[in-house]
Amino acid sequence: MNLPKDHPARDMQDSFYITEEYLLRTHTSPVQARTMQSKGGNEPVRMIAPGRVYRRDYDATHSPMFHQVEGLVIDKGISLADLKGTLELFLKEMFGSNVKVRLRPSFFPFTEPSAEVDISCVICGGKGCRVCKNSGWLEILGSGMVHPNVLTMSGYDPQQVSGFAFGMGVERIAMLKYGIDDLRLFFENDLRFIRQFK
Amino acid sequence: MLASLNWLKEYVEITDTPEVLADKLTRAGTPVEVITYLGEGLNGVVTGKVAEIEHHPDADKLWVCSIDVGTGELLQILTGAQNVTKGVIVPVAVVGSQLPSGMKLKKAKMRGLDSYGMLCSASELGLDAKLLLPEQREGILILAEDTPIGVDIKEVLGLDDVVYDFDLTANRGDCFNMIGLAREVAAVTGANLKMPSMEVKEAANGDANSMAKVEIKATDLCSRFAVRVLKNIKIKESPIWMQRRLRACGVRPISNVVDVTNYVMLELGQPMHPYDYDKVADHKLIVRRAENAEKLVTLDEQERTLNDSMIVIADAMHAVGLGGVMGGLETEVIGTTVNVMLEAATFDGVSIRRTSRVLGLRSEASSRFERGVDTVLTWNALNRAANLLENMEACETVPGIVDAYPVPYVPAVVRVQPEAINSRIGIAITKEEMVATLEKLQFCVREDGAELIVTAPTWRPDVTCDADISEEICRIHGLDNIESHLPCLNVTKGGQNIIDDVQDMIKDYMVAVGMNEVINYSFIHPSAFDKIGLDADDARRRVIDIMNPITDDFKVMRTTLVPGMLANVAYNVARQNTKVATFEVGRVYFADELPLRGFPTEKPMLCMALCGKRNELNWNEGREDVDFYDVKGIVEGLLNNLQMQDWKFVTGTAPYLHPGKSCMIEYNAVTIGCFGEAHPAVQNAYGLPQAAYLFELEIEPLVAAVTHVPQYTHLPKFPGTSRDIAVVVPTEIAMSELVEVIKANAGELLQTAKVFDVYTGKQVAEGCKSMAFNLTFQASDRTLTDDEIDLVIKKVVSVVGETFKAKLRE
Repeated sequence: MNLPKDHPARDMQDSFYITEEYLLRTHTSPVQARTMQSKGGNEPVRMIAPGRVYRRDYDATHSPMFHQVEGLVIDKGISLADLKGTLELFLKEMFGSNVKVRLRPSFFPFTEPSAEVDISCVICGGKGCRVCKNSGWLEILGSGMVHPNVLTMSGYDPQQVSGFAFGMGVERIAMLKYGIDDLRLFFENDLRFIRQFK
Repeated sequence: MLASLNWLKEYVEITDTPEVLADKLTRAGTPVEVITYLGEGLNGVVTGKVAEIEHHPDADKLWVCSIDVGTGELLQILTGAQNVTKGVIVPVAVVGSQLPSGMKLKKAKMRGLDSYGMLCSASELGLDAKLLLPEQREGILILAEDTPIGVDIKEVLGLDDVVYDFDLTANRGDCFNMIGLAREVAAVTGANLKMPSMEVKEAANGDANSMAKVEIKATDLCSRFAVRVLKNIKIKESPIWMQRRLRACGVRPISNVVDVTNYVMLELGQPMHPYDYDKVADHKLIVRRAENAEKLVTLDEQERTLNDSMIVIADAMHAVGLGGVMGGLETEVIGTTVNVMLEAATFDGVSIRRTSRVLGLRSEASSRFERGVDTVLTWNALNRAANLLENMEACETVPGIVDAYPVPYVPAVVRVQPEAINSRIGIAITKEEMVATLEKLQFCVREDGAELIVTAPTWRPDVTCDADISEEICRIHGLDNIESHLPCLNVTKGGQNIIDDVQDMIKDYMVAVGMNEVINYSFIHPSAFDKIGLDADDARRRVIDIMNPITDDFKVMRTTLVPGMLANVAYNVARQNTKVATFEVGRVYFADELPLRGFPTEKPMLCMALCGKRNELNWNEGREDVDFYDVKGIVEGLLNNLQMQDWKFVTGTAPYLHPGKSCMIEYNAVTIGCFGEAHPAVQNAYGLPQAAYLFELEIEPLVAAVTHVPQYTHLPKFPGTSRDIAVVVPTEIAMSELVEVIKANAGELLQTAKVFDVYTGKQVAEGCKSMAFNLTFQASDRTLTDDEIDLVIKKVVSVVGETFKAKLRE
């Protein structure tokens, strides 16, 4: 995924290590590389991959384990405009057609260009409140155009095909959609919580 | 990174409001996380001179001051602070002014005398004590002697400023300074970038290259090391304007030389360090790896133990600084310092990051090296620092720069097709527009036919390929300005892994029968294996350890879902949930080899628990607790629902199940699961007040079964017949064993064999039970006769009798 050995993302600080060589994944993006490799350089690739991810953090907004959904499309002529359209469609389906969507340039080693995706705050509607830290926006997922190095390493020719990828936190989306304020509730398995979602 | 807007305005014209500019920058990839208005809530406080001061006649600790605030008339103001003397200039909150605490000043009476306002301390003005000199933190804030009188204090202290807190991404080390940010502002607003002066007079005698030497021994950890020599240093306070800017950006002013190095770091992004020239042996600085266990006392007076992954700056004798992280105490520039060697260097970010982690020493300098510092512009920093110190009349600069730069940096040259960029982003902008955008960001662009040859500026080592160029174009063009589009794709077949299909079927069934799905962590506490009673040599105890768990509760990867499920039951029972019915579908983790040498085997499992009442309280339903048969029913229902064929319940148990109230599930002669009542010891270990029932099942063996498609058999044209038989067998014989023997011996005519009664008691011998079976018979081509069936029954009874020492019950 274009993260060199000395990349800060590999620090012990943030990941659970099993040995020097093996760790619990901190995001679902490696599924991208595995999917592309299993397709043996053939397009199209269109996949969605939910899964558990692990980070060394534990408080009301951080859980050592949570879930992400990874998405990847590789084909001829895929553009950032396609990514934007796809994510807007998804987010409007998830949060309602009135939600506003904003893409913000960002940085991930495996995409270029990269964009963080914000939605207008579902609590205050964008006017500014405690949840959105008065910005009117909530960061909801990370995305970008698959980095040429990732394509090459996975057996694709970046001159011939392009692709987009995105990853999102399932619990974060659930928290915003259902107004849940403590991430730990998802794993305490209190039936009074679980039975609220039928 | 904190950045003062007033300071930014020195390099680029800003006409937008702070909010609008912050939004523009955020949308272009330089996100402003927080906007702070310094001096918010501070109104009407002015500077004033203490014209007279005397003791309060009736109070020892109070002073009566006459204050000149430039209105021509002196104000009588009382203060309890003890650091005010005649002639000093202080902040005066006059009547009607307002402090950040919300306090509005009114005329007050203290021990019989009127006070027309208040003299203010730093904290009353809302200044951060950490950013002040120690003497400024206590008592009334004494201002510089040359401060004008009657001026708004916000202007004097730089509180008429707005500060952005940028949340910069890891690739944009170039924005970790004012010039880099000003460049971004210029790119998004169209304004021009003005660079600060870097002219150096070099008025001192001599030649730096003969006065000082530098050498890089660890060339893998330091790509450039350059030094200027400054003579006749006069250490004093730095000018107020510089202190204001440093404070606004969160840096504490100390003295002119240190302040200038910090100022230039904030301005240009190059960390710098001053050494006392006369304390460096042979005036030579060497960059090398530390020796293992080498000691160095850093500026914060801590003795540090180093290792050979760390960079030290040393003289001929010993280490004098921790390269890029913190200087050494011995060569610190202090009041008596006369000559200074000023360092600007480029250190390896990875090594700096590790060093600062290991030593717990993160500094403004180390965080910049971690992100990368422009090697080529090292001289700018040395020149700018000399320029500032010369302008303060604080030094004379020795001509020349001593520079070690073994392998000059070559910026990337990228060949770009504008058409490819447009199609990657999904926009249609002209080549000229692309060139203009790139030039605004100070990329060097040359046209070559339809292509562009782009040289990235030296501060952008992150730009190496055309995708990087496309990002620069689209972020300045604005992601908002890209028209959304749904991908036009050929229709292809979708689907998911069959194992996910099976898991979905399981989850659907379990939810349909009233179970609640839970998700437990993949890691557990190893003591859980004792609680569920696993033998010392049970394979599930061969766990994969986590090297760096957060707590012991998350110490090993789970090899069974049972402890999590039991903990859920205990948690819910303790919270007055009278009916607990939960299941989890999740993976368990087994190492083929320990320590781990390859990916572990991950087995998807189902685990279910039932405990408490069978029904919610209801007028037409019973009040009984769940029992063994509730679980058994769910197990059978699930297996049937999955179209499983030929599974069997066989006797056997699991360590955590009650040996007399449990059962194994066998499929293709392999055990794939078990269910039953939790072992009383396990129930105790989890503090459960009543019996809980568990069901555990491996999911992978089910995959083959779910593809089974049931085939139709013709409905019977002739009536069937049924017979009941009751046999007395020893109690340990399982019903399933009997059924198996009956089925094997009753021939093709037998359709079903069901138990309808089990009895132990008076009429049955001790140690035996009576089981009554109903057998149905059917033939597809004729109506059966009694004689035919009598023969079958006779055979069955005789085989059952022989096999189980059973007697037909009359």
